[in-house]
Amino acid sequence: MLQPIHTNAMLYSVETENLSYRFPRGVGSSVLPFPPSASAPQILHNVNLRVPEGSIYGFLGQNGAGKTTTLRLILGLLTKQQGIIRVLGKSFEENRIAGLREIGSLIESPSLYSHLTASENLTIYQKIHGVPKGRIAEVLDLVGLARTGTKKAAEFSLGMKQRLGLAIALLHKPSLLILDEPTNGLDPNGIIEMRELLKQLQREQGITILISSHLLSEIEKLVTHVGIIHGGKLLFQGTLEELLQKREKSSQIILETSDARRTMSVLEQFHITGRVESSSVILPFLERETIANIARELVREDISLYGIRAQNDDLETIFMNLVKD
Amino acid sequence: MRFLTLFYSEYLKTRRSTAIWLIIAGSLFTPSIIFAARMYRQKVIAPMYLSPNFWQTAWNQAWEATAFFVLPMGIIMATGLITQLEWRNNAWKQLHTTPQRLTTIFFTKFFVIAFLLLQFFLLFNCCLYGLAVLPALLLPHVAFPPAPYPFAQFLQGNINFFLDCLPIVGLQYALSLHFRNFLVPLGIGFLLWILSIGILSWEHSYTLPYIYCAFEQVRNTSRALKLTSPIDIHLLSVAYFLVFLSIGYVVYVNKPEKG
Repeated sequence: MLQPIHTNAMLYSVETENLSYRFPRGVGSSVLPFPPSASAPQILHNVNLRVPEGSIYGFLGQNGAGKTTTLRLILGLLTKQQGIIRVLGKSFEENRIAGLREIGSLIESPSLYSHLTASENLTIYQKIHGVPKGRIAEVLDLVGLARTGTKKAAEFSLGMKQRLGLAIALLHKPSLLILDEPTNGLDPNGIIEMRELLKQLQREQGITILISSHLLSEIEKLVTHVGIIHGGKLLFQGTLEELLQKREKSSQIILETSDARRTMSVLEQFHITGRVESSSVILPFLERETIANIARELVREDISLYGIRAQNDDLETIFMNLVKD
Repeated sequence: MRFLTLFYSEYLKTRRSTAIWLIIAGSLFTPSIIFAARMYRQKVIAPMYLSPNFWQTAWNQAWEATAFFVLPMGIIMATGLITQLEWRNNAWKQLHTTPQRLTTIFFTKFFVIAFLLLQFFLLFNCCLYGLAVLPALLLPHVAFPPAPYPFAQFLQGNINFFLDCLPIVGLQYALSLHFRNFLVPLGIGFLLWILSIGILSWEHSYTLPYIYCAFEQVRNTSRALKLTSPIDIHLLSVAYFLVFLSIGYVVYVNKPEKG
């Protein structure tokens, strides 16, 4: 069994060093791993991902940011071109089979044999992993599919398919779970159920979970660590607390008043630079006391104040601020 | 032992699949038509059942359409359907993240196809025998064939046909592992098969990899068309198969995207 790596007093279940990737293009590139041409679009730029052992690591990024490519490289589904990938402390390239024994994965849509039942689907993987047959009932029970009987996977709802995909990933009791947008297509109830299940797994079995998403709001109640990728570059990596602090600093205050031009004049008194956007005044992040002082001054100037709100849950804004940084 | 378990895990995927139904339908096809024809002409078939060549005739009749048409087409479709279980269900990515060597995945899947082919041969022979004797059991005026069943000769015949169809299995497997679209290997397979049948009488037709089943059947039965080959066609067939399987393996293992 592979042991997690110990680097700088931190144990990492997954670690990448300068992971870069270009889409292979040209004649024969889909057949054999010819090196990509220099003109091929670069998908990943020196990504240094570090997933601490026992963490729930949220890998965030917009569609096309490079999340799935990174995860597929970690799992060996794409041929690595540049960089180093370590899974549980060992080079994945040199220890592919041992690494995969410790990983459970669900990449994009679940891979289910639609003509087979849930139990039959799991039997295929039970044989491959060589786990006891009783484990099938255990994982079906865990994901709430114990009573699907002879129903074929083709007849399952999207939520049931996602849960069966998760059951396949959990069948061999992996120490690392890699999930690529597992809540895609799930209804709000399904998202909450999935979140609770993952929390339970991490809490009770100590599994490290690497989960990708394009919605910060969806995973902020789940993750302990966050990595943000944009345009193939890892822009942020750290604990959730560190991200929230960063988000607070990058958040904006929106003032809705009866007169935006006069509001701007009031703000000048506080040496604050704002901008007017469709009758609202947008300000950078401010201390609570400063906001209160501005509100008092606006009232004193006889400007009607309709609303003050903070805008800080927009991942796009965080991305943009991180890019600007 | 481990390989057998992994083979079984692959074989489980064929349960209730179209490929299994294709094997059953394909093995029943020609013997059923012959049975139906005999029942239709039941008044005149009694002498045929008393002939010392009864089994040889039954064998030749059953293999005529099978060697030319049912077996090559069946292999082209069944091989594609087996790999489509992964393509259609988007399951390559899950299979390739299981702790198995790519070599193991390649060969377990190939052996499933070979096993299905063996099932076809077994079922086809059972149907050939069963449906040949059934008129004798159903019709009072038709006697049970007194001629001994030439088991050793038919076994050799089956082995020959099995070897002759291997190049089709090899190339179709390589193609269907590579192309996601089911129609690509299907189209290439059909084109090669039609080409083979079209130029069967050509003096160098033995060089075509999809021709050997038809070649063997014509060589065994046709008096009008004499087909010869300077090299043993079964050897040629195995050589083609090994080349196609090797190419398929190299392309599969080195594929930059694995699902």
